[in-house]
Amino acid sequence: MAQVTDWIKHLTTDVDAATEGIQVADIYPAVGQEWMWLTVAVVFWLWWHVGTATGESEEQQKLARRRPGTNDYKKNITEW
Amino acid sequence: MTDGLGALTTIFTEFYYWITVVLMFLIHVGFCMYEVGASRYKHHQHTLMKNTMLIPLVTVTWFFFGWWIYWAFPTGPGLAPSIMNESAALITDDSLFSASWYVPTSNLMAVNLGDHISGVFWAAFLLFSWTAASIVSGAIIERITTFAFGILAIAIGSVFWTIDAAWGWHFDGWMLKLLGYHDAYASGVIHAIAGGFALGVLAVLGPRIGKFSSSGEPRNIGPRNPWFVAIGLFLIYTGFWGFYAACNIPIFDLGPEYGMEGVTFFTATSIYVTPTTLSGITFNFLMSLSGGLLAGYWVSKGDPFWTYSGGLAGIITASAGNDLYHPLQAMMIAALGTYIAYKMHYWVERRFKIDDAVGAVAVHGYAGVVGLIVCGFVLWGYPSSGYSVGSMWVGTDYAPINPLGMFIGAIIMFGVLGFLPGYILAKILHGAGKLRIPREVELAGLDYNIMESARKDERAVG
Repeated sequence: MAQVTDWIKHLTTDVDAATEGIQVADIYPAVGQEWMWLTVAVVFWLWWHVGTATGESEEQQKLARRRPGTNDYKKNITEW
Repeated sequence: MTDGLGALTTIFTEFYYWITVVLMFLIHVGFCMYEVGASRYKHHQHTLMKNTMLIPLVTVTWFFFGWWIYWAFPTGPGLAPSIMNESAALITDDSLFSASWYVPTSNLMAVNLGDHISGVFWAAFLLFSWTAASIVSGAIIERITTFAFGILAIAIGSVFWTIDAAWGWHFDGWMLKLLGYHDAYASGVIHAIAGGFALGVLAVLGPRIGKFSSSGEPRNIGPRNPWFVAIGLFLIYTGFWGFYAACNIPIFDLGPEYGMEGVTFFTATSIYVTPTTLSGITFNFLMSLSGGLLAGYWVSKGDPFWTYSGGLAGIITASAGNDLYHPLQAMMIAALGTYIAYKMHYWVERRFKIDDAVGAVAVHGYAGVVGLIVCGFVLWGYPSSGYSVGSMWVGTDYAPINPLGMFIGAIIMFGVLGFLPGYILAKILHGAGKLRIPREVELAGLDYNIMESARKDERAVG
């Protein structure tokens, strides 16, 4: 996946023989496979939303069924 | 970047924006402290998490599509031709600054030795996005689900404010060309829209339980930790310096940019590529802060919460024209905006039973709108863009700054791109049963489970 294996070689190799000092600019791994990473990221992103929304809803419904009083939280205040 | 001066200019600009991002991070720290300070004990941790989690939610979506929207939409589309390609369509061709550069798979959206600007510029705008979402966050504490807030944060942070930035902040924006819109430090582009969005959400979400008596009289659920609020607002002021800096281009030779033959004129510019100075805006930032603090202290009779908020409202009001105002103008405009925002907050609260927990709609929304309208009068006749001289892109002139254009701009920011989307999205979430937490949870406290668990741990440990 390495895009660069020798910095000196990379920085001294011009992309265009007519234009001195222009090297391959994108130096991150897996250049050209950005769509794959994007797809993985979007799937992760959607999964996260669904998962956390479900968890939040379940937890709140459970608490709502217990019906704690308005001031019950004061019994749960811990020391610093 | 092969010559010394070019390299210095590029690296300086890269570092400049990088620093603004670090400074602007303090805005978010401030908002977190401020919101937690304003909330009640039993909701503290949830309030903190809600505002914290907008960071990844908005950041990721800003990478996915938010930044692309900014570069694609300056023409509307369909409202005014681009000065870059003369087309009124989406700017997705291969022209200069095309949105095609900023899709998430572009090699400019990564480490790229040929590009020192995209990342820091992306980040500076991202921090604006966080701010927009964070403004909404404060207004709706203690009763919204984290899921709903996440969706709303993405909507305001990565979609709606981005559209308004493309329309009214981009140097190619149709609002500059047709309306003469001018909003140098975002009275409308960030603040009015976020305030309007928050109001739209609040209209559907409803007040916190107990906020209004049975006869409809509002009760004051004031900040429970005034020290957090004070430090939070000081941090927001501090971050606002970075915000002002990020709205500028630090060094630019306007001679060739404007097509002035043989002229070299290096200056800092506003986001519209019109000349200003960091020195000048420093006058105006501090004078508008002072005007807001003075008015806030006076109108609230020394209430600390509103005095601090007044300082912020003051800066926000004067921000639209702070690239050009005289400092004394900035101060008086700031005081006027703060006064109106305060009065409007309580009028709207009583008249429409709107429970804006931190006064965000007032401080950002109403003050932002006032700032835009006043700017239209005070800067009446100034060019909205340096390109209006027509020497660079002949045939596409810009309207000068004017009161009517700024008034329409304020309606677009607060109403069309702010209130309406907030209201509609909140309605959809409400319809799906996902907007508001259960009544029992609101009464018990959003932190009930986590506090109970901590208490059990404490007992077990002894």
